[in-house]
Amino acid sequence: MSDTATLSPPEVAIPTDSPQVLLVPAAELFPTMPRRRELIFGTVFVTAGVAMGLLTLIGSYIATRDAAGAAWLADNQIALTQPNMQMLTMLMSVVTMQWAVWSICRDDRYHTYLALGVTLLLGIAFVNQSTFLFKEAGISITQPEGPLFYAVTLGHLAMVMAGLIFTVLMAFRTLGGQYSSRQPDGINAAAVFWYAGVALYSVIWFAVYIQK
Amino acid sequence: MTLTDTRTTSDNSATARGTVPTALERVIGTGEHQAIGRTFILSSLLLMAISAAALAVGGLTALSSGGALDLSDPLWNSALVAMVLMGAIGLLLGLAICLVPLQVGSAAIAFPRAAALSLWAWLVSGLIFLVSIPLDGGVGGSKLEGARLGMLSMGSMMVALSLGAVCVATTVLSHRPVGMSLSRVPFFSWSMLVAAPIWILTFGSTTAHVLLGQVSQTNAAGLALRFEAGVSWFLRAPAVYMLAIPVMGIACDIVAQACGRRITRYSTVQALIGMYGVFSFGAWTQTSGGRQNIFWIAFVVLAAVPVLGLLGLIADTLRQQKPEVSPGLVGVLLAFLLLLGGLLSGILEALNTTGSGTLFSFEAAGLGWAQGVFLVSAAFLGGLAALSAWSRVVLRASEPRAIVFSAIAAGLVGGGLLGTVFLIQGLTGSGLNLSFYNVWVAVSASVLALSALLGLMMALVTSRGNSAEPDASGAVVSGAVGLTLEWASTELSTQDQALLMSAIVGSPYPLLDFRSAGEPVEEEN
Repeated sequence: MSDTATLSPPEVAIPTDSPQVLLVPAAELFPTMPRRRELIFGTVFVTAGVAMGLLTLIGSYIATRDAAGAAWLADNQIALTQPNMQMLTMLMSVVTMQWAVWSICRDDRYHTYLALGVTLLLGIAFVNQSTFLFKEAGISITQPEGPLFYAVTLGHLAMVMAGLIFTVLMAFRTLGGQYSSRQPDGINAAAVFWYAGVALYSVIWFAVYIQK
Repeated sequence: MTLTDTRTTSDNSATARGTVPTALERVIGTGEHQAIGRTFILSSLLLMAISAAALAVGGLTALSSGGALDLSDPLWNSALVAMVLMGAIGLLLGLAICLVPLQVGSAAIAFPRAAALSLWAWLVSGLIFLVSIPLDGGVGGSKLEGARLGMLSMGSMMVALSLGAVCVATTVLSHRPVGMSLSRVPFFSWSMLVAAPIWILTFGSTTAHVLLGQVSQTNAAGLALRFEAGVSWFLRAPAVYMLAIPVMGIACDIVAQACGRRITRYSTVQALIGMYGVFSFGAWTQTSGGRQNIFWIAFVVLAAVPVLGLLGLIADTLRQQKPEVSPGLVGVLLAFLLLLGGLLSGILEALNTTGSGTLFSFEAAGLGWAQGVFLVSAAFLGGLAALSAWSRVVLRASEPRAIVFSAIAAGLVGGGLLGTVFLIQGLTGSGLNLSFYNVWVAVSASVLALSALLGLMMALVTSRGNSAEPDASGAVVSGAVGLTLEWASTELSTQDQALLMSAIVGSPYPLLDFRSAGEPVEEEN
């Protein structure tokens, strides 16, 4: 982020028919501050693209499964315990991520670090649970269901891992003092990406694991 | 700290150590948005020429084999994909990376390193895609390795273009100066803000199919099917309409500049561009059933409404003030002609959907090709017009008008004829068996390639010309002066630029406001 850029424009009521208002130097009215919300906007756009890709994969999965009928995953057993625990883990991580956002907005750095740490822990637990699930399910990439199943689940796992890396980076930048209540964008952006990851997992959980 | 703004020369450590980067290192390593945008533009013009030439070769190949127009020919499909991703979108995105930060008064684009990554990833992927075509790959090729290479590079191009779109849209949202609310953003920036999410969502979906193809298909035929079933929808209505979103913004800015006056009903124009953007979102039509329902018909038909509305408002502006005729103005108005051709093709397909077998018996594949070709030509012509109109900003000199007019004329003729042959194919309802039609495709694609080469020549000649001086450049003599912030650096003194940039933006046309209020300010100072 630029440290010298101007504040993104506030909505100020300026009569358009009065050209004299143009002559008021902006710097006299608004202090110079870091550019706000840039990282959040960028993250939202990237998240939208990633979400669209994953939703397309899920749609393809559902269409192919419907076409296959009862033969779909007939040779594999996916117990619901693991996906349910993963869903629970992700839901808990939403709470801890929001805790981090809440804390940084109040300059409570201790709780910010604590919340980010717990979120990372839950994220790593999710990754671990996923690998366990893949082993338990025993779905081969060569069987007809394999490519679609792994495209959906590994695609989402990649998103979660990207979210973890993003969160670690933002945590380090917070440690470096870059984020505070005046500039919480990094944590907020990481949270946006993480929430999208959780929302997408809830779709996968229902469409892939519950409905089978 | 992650670098999101361009480094100034003073904190360039290499320079500080006395190591002067070479010209190549400067081009590759730059995060300066104008350099990135210019490289995008020059590359896209060259790649557009190659892509159109590939289509011409496809026509000649079909002619030599004596067959009918074969719309499923891998070479033809690859050429169309290349024209869309490398020619049209590359050109428009390059213009946006170059112009949008200046239009919103920002010194840098958001995430400049990401913008540079977007450029180089797109360029390398594009070159790989072109290499894959003669290897019997591209999209729908019959050799597995070539087809995999083609699909993968196409996916990489889409990701790269999406990344560039993220940078542009974020710039519009977060880099605006004080007072420039979204309702006061210049039209081209606004249209890019509308286009970027549509492009990101569309390419997110198509990239997923590319990934799926790479994972699940073990032969070239499977990859071709994956392209046809999961990716090709973005080349047809309504998704292909997204190519023309920035053209609408370009048109409004150029018309305002040519007339030297404000576009009336600013918010209405913004709403029309936004409405067109909504109707160009087509990811939901990717299944076969998605194109056979009332929603698809509604989207395709209603997309014409904002275009016609915008044309009405442009005509009203032109009626109120006689414009300064320039290649940019002519080019962008002709681009609308091609856009209308694409919309007509879409409406004809919608009519065919509603009354197929009873009232009409059109061929959807031909009409789909007509939509794609008309829209890519419209976007390309709009890009050429923008390059001409903003040449003093983008290329730092006034454009040679003769070359620009030639490029625009060739673009109109090539794109128009090319779209027309596919429109005829669609309307006749069966394959055109005459060799004449293959010649038609080959000639019109060659003319389109010539247009791209002329555009490239114009860009190279202009960028090597003298820097434009406000009082000496041809454009100023002709009376076309800029109204928005991107013109400040070419038309105002350094002192006035500083004054302008420190003031609150009070309308969508800050430079026009500044000129009308400039003299009292100088007196006060």
